[in-house]
Amino acid sequence: MNAAIRLPVEQAYASELQALARGDDRQKPAGWSLSPQAVLTYLLGGKAGDGTPVTPKYVGRRRLMETAVATLATDRALLLLGVPGTAKSWVSEHLAAAIMGDSTLIVQCTAGTDENQIRYGWNYAQLLAKGPSQEALVPTPLYRAMQTGKLCRLEELTRMGSDVQDTLITVLSEKMMPIPELNTSIYAQRGFNIIATANNRDKGVNELSSALKRRFNVVVLPLPEDMAEEVAIVSKRVDEMAGGLDLPVPKNVGEEIARVLTIFRELRSGATADGKVTLKTPSGSLSTAEAIATMVGGLSQAAWFDSGKLGAEGLAASLVGAIVKDPVQDKAVLEEYLETVLKKRPDYAGYYAALNAAI
Amino acid sequence: MGHSDVAYFGIRHHGPGSADSLVQALQDLQPVAVLIEGPIDASALLPLLARPEMQPPVALLCYPEEEPASTSFWPFAEFSPEYQAVLWAVDNEAALRFIDLPSSARFSEAAVDGAEKVDADEAKEPSERDDVAPHRRDPIGTLARAAGYEDGESWWSDIIEQNPEPGPIFAAISDAMMTLRDGEGSIAQYEAQREAHMRLEIAAARKEFDGPIAVVCGAWHVPALQATHPQKSDEALLKGIARRKSTMTWAPWTGPRLALGYGYGAGVVAPGWCKHLWRTRGRRDAATLWLAMIAAVLRVKGHLVSTASLIEAERLARTLAAIRERPKPGFEELRDAAIAALFNGEALLWALVEAELLLGADVGEIPPDTPLAPLIEDLQRNQKAARLKPEALERELSVDLRSDSGLFRSTLLHRLNVLGVRWGKLTDAGRSRGTFRERWTLAWEPEYAVRLVENLIYGPTIEKAANGRLIQMIEAAATLDTLAALVQGAITAGLSEASTAGLAALEARAARSSECLEILASVPPLADIIRYGEARKTETNRLSGLMERLIVEGAIALPYAARDLDEQAAATLASAMRKADEAIRLVEPGEDVLNGWRNGLAAVLEGSRATALLAGCAAHLLYEAGRLSAEAAAGLLGRRLSPGTPVAEAAGFFEGFFSTAGQRLIYDEGLRGAVDSWLKSLDEDAFIAHLPLLRRVFSNLDSMERRRLIEAVLGRAARLPAGLTPTPDGGEAWRRHLERLGPLLMAGNGNG
Repeated sequence: MNAAIRLPVEQAYASELQALARGDDRQKPAGWSLSPQAVLTYLLGGKAGDGTPVTPKYVGRRRLMETAVATLATDRALLLLGVPGTAKSWVSEHLAAAIMGDSTLIVQCTAGTDENQIRYGWNYAQLLAKGPSQEALVPTPLYRAMQTGKLCRLEELTRMGSDVQDTLITVLSEKMMPIPELNTSIYAQRGFNIIATANNRDKGVNELSSALKRRFNVVVLPLPEDMAEEVAIVSKRVDEMAGGLDLPVPKNVGEEIARVLTIFRELRSGATADGKVTLKTPSGSLSTAEAIATMVGGLSQAAWFDSGKLGAEGLAASLVGAIVKDPVQDKAVLEEYLETVLKKRPDYAGYYAALNAAI
Repeated sequence: MGHSDVAYFGIRHHGPGSADSLVQALQDLQPVAVLIEGPIDASALLPLLARPEMQPPVALLCYPEEEPASTSFWPFAEFSPEYQAVLWAVDNEAALRFIDLPSSARFSEAAVDGAEKVDADEAKEPSERDDVAPHRRDPIGTLARAAGYEDGESWWSDIIEQNPEPGPIFAAISDAMMTLRDGEGSIAQYEAQREAHMRLEIAAARKEFDGPIAVVCGAWHVPALQATHPQKSDEALLKGIARRKSTMTWAPWTGPRLALGYGYGAGVVAPGWCKHLWRTRGRRDAATLWLAMIAAVLRVKGHLVSTASLIEAERLARTLAAIRERPKPGFEELRDAAIAALFNGEALLWALVEAELLLGADVGEIPPDTPLAPLIEDLQRNQKAARLKPEALERELSVDLRSDSGLFRSTLLHRLNVLGVRWGKLTDAGRSRGTFRERWTLAWEPEYAVRLVENLIYGPTIEKAANGRLIQMIEAAATLDTLAALVQGAITAGLSEASTAGLAALEARAARSSECLEILASVPPLADIIRYGEARKTETNRLSGLMERLIVEGAIALPYAARDLDEQAAATLASAMRKADEAIRLVEPGEDVLNGWRNGLAAVLEGSRATALLAGCAAHLLYEAGRLSAEAAAGLLGRRLSPGTPVAEAAGFFEGFFSTAGQRLIYDEGLRGAVDSWLKSLDEDAFIAHLPLLRRVFSNLDSMERRRLIEAVLGRAARLPAGLTPTPDGGEAWRRHLERLGPLLMAGNGNG
């Protein structure tokens, strides 16, 4: 029995991957276990060659996934950009699983990541005993990916320092990594590539240097385009999270999700849902993930303090928190939105009053 | 009587792919006559197209003599198959004619069709109008979309031209159309008439010419033209079609107006792309060149694009084409690759290059001796209707906007001004707003005719051209106040399309602008329009909505904008605030909007970081509005001017309050009392310290007003108390005065 909370996707979706591989007679780039078309089918859903149904992993624009897969097929590195909650890591994991059958060569980049975690480290006992030698060298996931011709995933690339990021430049342009201590270098095997993810809205991250940026093809994953789709995503996640936190879910949660998402989407897109009024956008990203957090915050408030009643009053504080990230600018944006839009909508009267009181 | 073979070339309107194939096919066929889908009565104008001075894009203009507003256009671009067919025919001395219904049939069609408004029909092309189903408007585009292509041209080149067995391309197209039209029911009367007319003309040409004949028409029509119909029934169908005399000429056209989004039904999505395809036909590096063009536009806009990135973009485009199983990268592949490799994934940046690259800024040219310029004709007609003669000598004209004729004259002159034809100059601009009278000075210069013709690219009548030109200016306008002024111009000139576009632009811009000064500055011109609208009979509802929104926005932005300003910025904002307040009181918005504005003012007054001048100004405006009672004002003045406040700040507040309210003190007892009690409460030193600012405030009262103020303070028959009469020579008092002033001035120097 496997008691892991979550399996790597190449194991969780092994049957789909096998079915796709069986029916795949198209040309495959060097080192790939599936053809690019089969990888697309795996991501976007459809049928394998033998008729096995394949579930969609990514719901959204096909052409984005096509660009992502084509990028990897040209041996150029792929950077997935997007605000939090746009399935960047999810897509990266599934791409690695579908292309290489292995999504586990992963580096989680943080502010504390140094070069030793990107290039290679040393086993100090061995180093002291034998001096610099191949045995004393500790390979990193990137190192192993180059050696074995696999895909290496770099999560949250922009969180690590710019100097560390730049160690990737040689790897990406010359497909080799020098090891000066041993007077040698390793050369990437065919199939090696990098999928990086990064957040394009956060403040305080390290900008990619233009030298590094130039070595990536960038695919920006957008927020859900369609209101209904986003409502479905939020409802599902809110249900799951409420279940996990043992929070009761009141009946009207659907209506409130629709209202909160309308506010989020209008502010995010800079126009009212009917397209009649243009709005200013706040500095925060107002992602789907934040909408989920707002709803869960409201549910928690309702359960513990408002005797189970979910309403504008309980949600207002988390809503303001999500919208107003900059105390001056965003507050003016929200005030303007309240006065010019929400005030005129009778079914948002509760939100108008509660938000006005909260800011 | 000869008997000839007829070859049918079903083309895609403005498709460079079909233009290229067509030229090759004509070269192979060497026809003696080329028949083109287009109004038969304009056939005589066709050879003009091949003149070297004629630079496409140009359009054939047809309009009934008495009614130029219902002009129809037939645009031709360099890459239009019809244009290339004309060039070929003229070069090879083949007979050349149009075979479609005469242009007049289209006018009457427009008249019958109630849904077609006069304003909208410049978008029409014979068979291709907005209301027809897309598969009829652009059958090749429809086939392409069915095959998963966004761009019909890429599909044409992939499927039709990359056909491994190059051969009868046009036969294949004809087959496809046959399938598309197979089993269609009866078609609209007008369409049936057109096809019948073309059939009859082809039959006539068959009799007339000895040798092969080429028919160039929209692909959709090919099956109908090939089908055999009894000549009698065709003739019966055409019985009674309107044959009015129409005026025809060529007019210069622009790249953007070829585009679909710009109201031209048969347009293409991206004229720039079509032109590129045409220019690079037969070359293998078309994709590379296109990417290089994208890079060039990006570089001009200040983005760094390296050659290495271009190489990567091209590699990606090729791989994408392979993944999509297409023979070579087309429009979509190049766009997606450019976004990923050159634009850092930002699809929004694509919009940046879109206007320049896809729409293009081409403007056509026509030979100088082209018959008639419709704008001149329209001007003559309007002059007649307005009973105004162009005279070189200056002449005064006063118009009354309440009378129809006066309004007509004023509108005409305003529109001409928009077109840069300054026939009339408004002599009392500004003052005339809101009144019913305008005074003009008229003087006609010969170069105005030339200038008028230059405006032909904007439209065929003065009204349309003025609309078009103003819309272009609106698109280019950067700030709210310029936009507001342009909208005002549009409404004054009675240009409804431009004012609608301007209002939309204003709304969009208003939402994005957070520049308080800009918002406030745009309020007065809008208020003018609303007030002026009564004389101009304009729809003001939408405007009032926008105005209210701007007021609310301005009120919200004001407290933030009023913080920590230097002297100059504060003075600018204060003046904008006063003007806006005046305008707001003038248009009398709803109670809640008015309250919103006053709340904004109150927030300025209460804000701890608000600049003193603005706080004073806000206090005054609130006091005038009755939101601040006399006692509260007195208390406020006392507090803001109290000795603890730095002199500069107190002076600022006082100036803000009283700089336009000096006279107010004469009549307003409460306020006077407040100032009086504040002044009395000052000890001598403080009073002297405040003297300069008091002087400054009261300096804009004239001597009469000062006298009345003194009377008001000291009672009716008051004089200055006897003891205060200045001694003729100053004497002792002057010496003492200097003694006190000396240290003050020194202290001032020391501080400054």
